Amino acid sequence: MAEIVLRNITRRYGELTALEKLDLTVPDGAFVVLLGPTGAGKTTTLRIVSGLEAPDLGEVFIGGQPMNGLPPAQRNVAMVFQQYSLYPHLTVRDNLSFPLKSPLSQTPRHAIAEKVVRVAETLQIAHKLDNKATELSGGEMQRVSIGRALVRNPSVYLMDEPLSSLDAKLRADLRIELKSIQADSGATLLYVTHDQTEAMTMASHIGVLDHGRLVQFGPPREIYADPVSLYAASRLGQPRINILPADLFGPAPSGAKFIGLRPEQICQGKGQDSLVARVERLGDQTRLHLKFRDHDIVTITDAHTALHAGDIVPIQPDAPFFFAADGARIRA
Amino acid sequence: MAQSPITRAAQATPEPLARRIRGLSDRAIAWIFIAPSIFLLLAVNIFPLIWTIRLSFTDYRVNRPNRDIEWVGLQNYRRILTDSDIWQTMQATAHFLIWTIVLQVLIGFALAWLINSKFRSSNFWTTIIVLPMMLSPAVVGNFWTFLYQPQIGLFNHAIAFVTGADPASFSMIGDVALAPWAIVIADTWMWTPFVMLICLAGLRSIPESIYEAAECDRASKWRQFWTLTVPMVLPFLMLAVLFRGIENFKMFDLVVQLTGGGPGNTTELTSINLKREAFEKWRTGYASAYAVILFVTVFGLASIYVKALNRVKDR
Repeated sequence: MAEIVLRNITRRYGELTALEKLDLTVPDGAFVVLLGPTGAGKTTTLRIVSGLEAPDLGEVFIGGQPMNGLPPAQRNVAMVFQQYSLYPHLTVRDNLSFPLKSPLSQTPRHAIAEKVVRVAETLQIAHKLDNKATELSGGEMQRVSIGRALVRNPSVYLMDEPLSSLDAKLRADLRIELKSIQADSGATLLYVTHDQTEAMTMASHIGVLDHGRLVQFGPPREIYADPVSLYAASRLGQPRINILPADLFGPAPSGAKFIGLRPEQICQGKGQDSLVARVERLGDQTRLHLKFRDHDIVTITDAHTALHAGDIVPIQPDAPFFFAADGARIRA
Repeated sequence: MAQSPITRAAQATPEPLARRIRGLSDRAIAWIFIAPSIFLLLAVNIFPLIWTIRLSFTDYRVNRPNRDIEWVGLQNYRRILTDSDIWQTMQATAHFLIWTIVLQVLIGFALAWLINSKFRSSNFWTTIIVLPMMLSPAVVGNFWTFLYQPQIGLFNHAIAFVTGADPASFSMIGDVALAPWAIVIADTWMWTPFVMLICLAGLRSIPESIYEAAECDRASKWRQFWTLTVPMVLPFLMLAVLFRGIENFKMFDLVVQLTGGGPGNTTELTSINLKREAFEKWRTGYASAYAVILFVTVFGLASIYVKALNRVKDR
């Protein structure tokens, strides 16, 4: 296992800048999740680390070794693709053993068979080993694709939204499975997603990408509790952070344009009155859609609340975030 | 009387047009539509086939329609299968078939591979390469006779340029040893583009991400080619072989234009031979038996092949 260092990486596609002077260090044994919407440069980062694509500028180091110009095979990375990319004419067994049959892996025949079965059992696809890859369901295909990375012992694992096309239940299962596999093996894992739940639950570190720039990097809790910008703050949290005019509740620090309120930063029961527009009961929690001086606010309340639409709830901010007009955080 | 909404809905639903006009069932209508095609098929395919089989047991000659037809049983078949000239044409056909398929598959696949690497102007080259296929076989046969001319032929001069031999020292069409190769080369020139197009379709059907996955799985280019590209293109390739095989088994026009079956009968393929028996020697019964034998051969080979093709596709 090894750490990944990206230094000053820039990648452009014609006019479009996918990555702009990206500096990123993935510590050895860390589970780093790159978070950002479509077009933020997440996949490009993965492809540059893997060697499938070359940066226009900058350097890539894996385990301290410079990787520029080396093909994927010599970087010893394993990658899981969003669209599975299984070998359609091969069986699940042959798909899983494909990476081990590389002369570079020097795995004896009986060891290959053993490893394949072990990985298939971990991912619960052992009964499908002799099926053709095309005869599987989406979830099984993605598990084979993850398995194809896990059979090897690469320096780093790269995963490009591996769970995005799965249903919610399977996604939750595989989230836990991936996290425990990573924790057990101590592998370095760079993982791309736009799903904040995946980021929060699995990551040891989150890197927030915005238009090819890394805007914040740190443990999930830190990014959640101490975002550097409005953009970083809106990546995490469910329901999303409420962004309102800075002076809505009273005087704001100078330069502040917006106030950001996560549900737990809205204190209910005192302050100024707001109207309950809708009550969403989710079972374990209840969401309140509030109307406050023509602004919509979404917050959470007690699961068994007696509130109904039309009720009045007083609210006031509790240690809110303030942001400048350009989105930068203003610290009090 | 008050009607229920269901009754009213049922009455408002239009009856099928057919039943309203003629009282015909849907099935009958279907038959009316299919009948012309079935009739045509019977008239031009099935009836001639059965008639040919019948004639193959007679000594009928179509140029003497008034003569009594004698029933000769299996005699035609016996004579064909023991005729060494016919075995010679079978050998010539096999030589032609095997070598055209081998060359066209190898060259066609190589060209498709090159075109698929998407260099600049690859579209332009695709058009150029495909041109021969669009020509009439008679035209191709005709101008290859010029290319093969010992004195002025470009082909002879090109060979002379490469090997240093005298261009007039050999005649592709006139030489007993070279003539079978002359027709193989001309057919390959004409039909390799067809194999290339099918291979290209196969190559383009492989998503780029498969190769990227293989790169990450540390497969060499060589291994990617043999374990990914070839198996995934194979069904396409086998289809091309089937098309070319059937086409070349009945090859006629190009070869007649080029060599006319000569010198001697070295390039007399079965279809040319058959045409001679039927329409030059007018041995209709004999030729019918010949045609039946060829039909059974092609049909048998093609069925075996299609089975294999399906197995490859299901793999």
